[in-house]
Amino acid sequence: MIELENLVKNYTKGTVVTEVLKGVSFRVEKGEFVAIMGASGSGKTTLMNILGGLDKPTGGTYRLDGVDMARAGEDELSQIRNRKIGFVFQQFYLLDRADAMKNVMLPLIYADGDGGGTARAEAALAAVGLAARKHHHPAELSGGEQQRVAIARALVTDPLILLADEPTGNLDSRNGLEVLALFQRLHREGRTLVMITHDHAVAEHARRLIVLKDGRIVEDRPVDQPRDAETELRVTQDASGAGPS
Amino acid sequence: MHFARNAVLSCQILAARKLRTLLSMIGVVVGVGAVILMVSVGRGAEKSILDRIGKLGTDLIIVNAAPARLMIGRQRTVATVTTLSIADGRAITEDCPHVIAAAPAVSKSLVVRWESNNTTTAVSGMAAEGFRIRNIPIASGRPFDGDEDRARRRVAVVGPTVVKNIFGASDPVGEQIRIGRVPFEVIGVTRARGIDANGADQDDMVLVPLETAMRRLLNVPYIQTIYIQARGSQWLDQVEREVRNLLRARQRLTEGRPDTFTIQNQMTLLKTERDTARSMTLLIGSVAGIALLVGGVGILAVMLISVRERTREIGLRRALGARPHDIRVQFLVEAALLAGFGGILGVMAGIGATYAAAVLGFWEMLISWPAATIAFSFSITMGIIFGIYPALRASRLEPIQALKSE
Repeated sequence: MIELENLVKNYTKGTVVTEVLKGVSFRVEKGEFVAIMGASGSGKTTLMNILGGLDKPTGGTYRLDGVDMARAGEDELSQIRNRKIGFVFQQFYLLDRADAMKNVMLPLIYADGDGGGTARAEAALAAVGLAARKHHHPAELSGGEQQRVAIARALVTDPLILLADEPTGNLDSRNGLEVLALFQRLHREGRTLVMITHDHAVAEHARRLIVLKDGRIVEDRPVDQPRDAETELRVTQDASGAGPS
Repeated sequence: MHFARNAVLSCQILAARKLRTLLSMIGVVVGVGAVILMVSVGRGAEKSILDRIGKLGTDLIIVNAAPARLMIGRQRTVATVTTLSIADGRAITEDCPHVIAAAPAVSKSLVVRWESNNTTTAVSGMAAEGFRIRNIPIASGRPFDGDEDRARRRVAVVGPTVVKNIFGASDPVGEQIRIGRVPFEVIGVTRARGIDANGADQDDMVLVPLETAMRRLLNVPYIQTIYIQARGSQWLDQVEREVRNLLRARQRLTEGRPDTFTIQNQMTLLKTERDTARSMTLLIGSVAGIALLVGGVGILAVMLISVRERTREIGLRRALGARPHDIRVQFLVEAALLAGFGGILGVMAGIGATYAAAVLGFWEMLISWPAATIAFSFSITMGIIFGIYPALRASRLEPIQALKSE
């Protein structure tokens, strides 16, 4: 589904050329849950942008679902982002003037026309467990709920892959675990997920770990014993339940 | 792109920022409102002039027995001459093919008395046809006729101002008045006609038969004025030429000598006034149009701020699949919506102000629907034109940079 072949990305500022990605190759198949890990400056955000069709590689090839992304035009890239990719951002990026439903329906504005947008958005909100909150505005939702609305927005177009950039970075550990539990459930339902993080504990919820360092892959292995977010949630709950009383 | 769905979202975003949206529309509201108010005022002035043309009779030409000069933009007779006679009036009726009738007249300011009251007013001796030619309506009583003129009867038709000045509330018809020292019987009162184009009170006058005036009041053999009715308003210029040629021939004026008389074509006079009113309307309308343009610049400013503020939203939309074209359309639609709402409010404000001014009694006003339509369409067009640059800027943002912005 995702095929990267010797991917190179340089940024040129004046006469200074910075190499950010120095030949990255890997494949992601349908149904995988991959965590891409690296410290800041490792090139993981650039890789995420290229995977999401927001940026173009300087060299090498990137095929998504058979399409050569380096050759796609601006409008074609827009269409691919709309149909095949679901973005989840660290900062949620919800429109604070619009309620949960309107936010979830935002990608459908740019999708090819059929009716049933409302039904699809309701289904997506139900899938993230927020059916009851569809008319709440972002300000009325907790951070975890906001991120789940953002995930529903990513799911509403039924994309090939879900691309998450530090999805738990702005959340406390409990809300972070809830989001990870949701990802694990989506993975069990057969979705393909690629998650970028700097946090080892977060990465261990995925099934495969790719570690980037200075623009190169230094590690690409299955996670031996993936953590289970639901179990962790129960443990935290028990701990807090056994607290001062 | 789902155009309507996005437009609804745009409305909600604009509605959520009520104060900002209102402020950005104010320029357009004021501009559109001003255009409508100004043009309505101008149209009202135009209509009052057209009404005056109608009251005057559109087929009227006046010959004055005096050469004229332009004074302060208007034609004024400068000295009375004694060269016109009743025979000239008859000749005009008989020899000018496009003339229906002509009524010679003389006029002098005289003291009019009733019982112990007196007033000084313009006393006109006029041929009986004058009532019809000059379109003088009778409110009560009757006008005098040709027989009374030939018989030099001492009968008078008085204007409402004279009635007010010397009769007060009494009914003047049948009463005896003295004009100078000569007793007259009042047989009719004219209907009020108000102020004429030169600002003179048309109701402050007494009309008596021409022959009576010439022989019994003024003792003059000449006349001062001839009122001429043309066959139709389209013949006014033709009649003017015919009358001029005839009078010059009758007075043996050789080529190159100036006229000893003045021909006043009232239509020409009032047309000039109407044109003045029109250019005035155009002028104040244009000034208001500039106000509208300034409103457009306001929209430009607000849209530029909006693009800057919503950079992250633009980045998000691009990430979610919006093409540059979609972003462009969105911001154009928002600019058009702003201007359009402003335009609607402006139309309401303009019509409201026009009604208010009419109720407060400034002058007659005509709501100009063409002006309203044009001003409204112009506001939307302007919104789109001033929205182009912000929309282009929005669509050219790089999605990654836009998303990262604060």
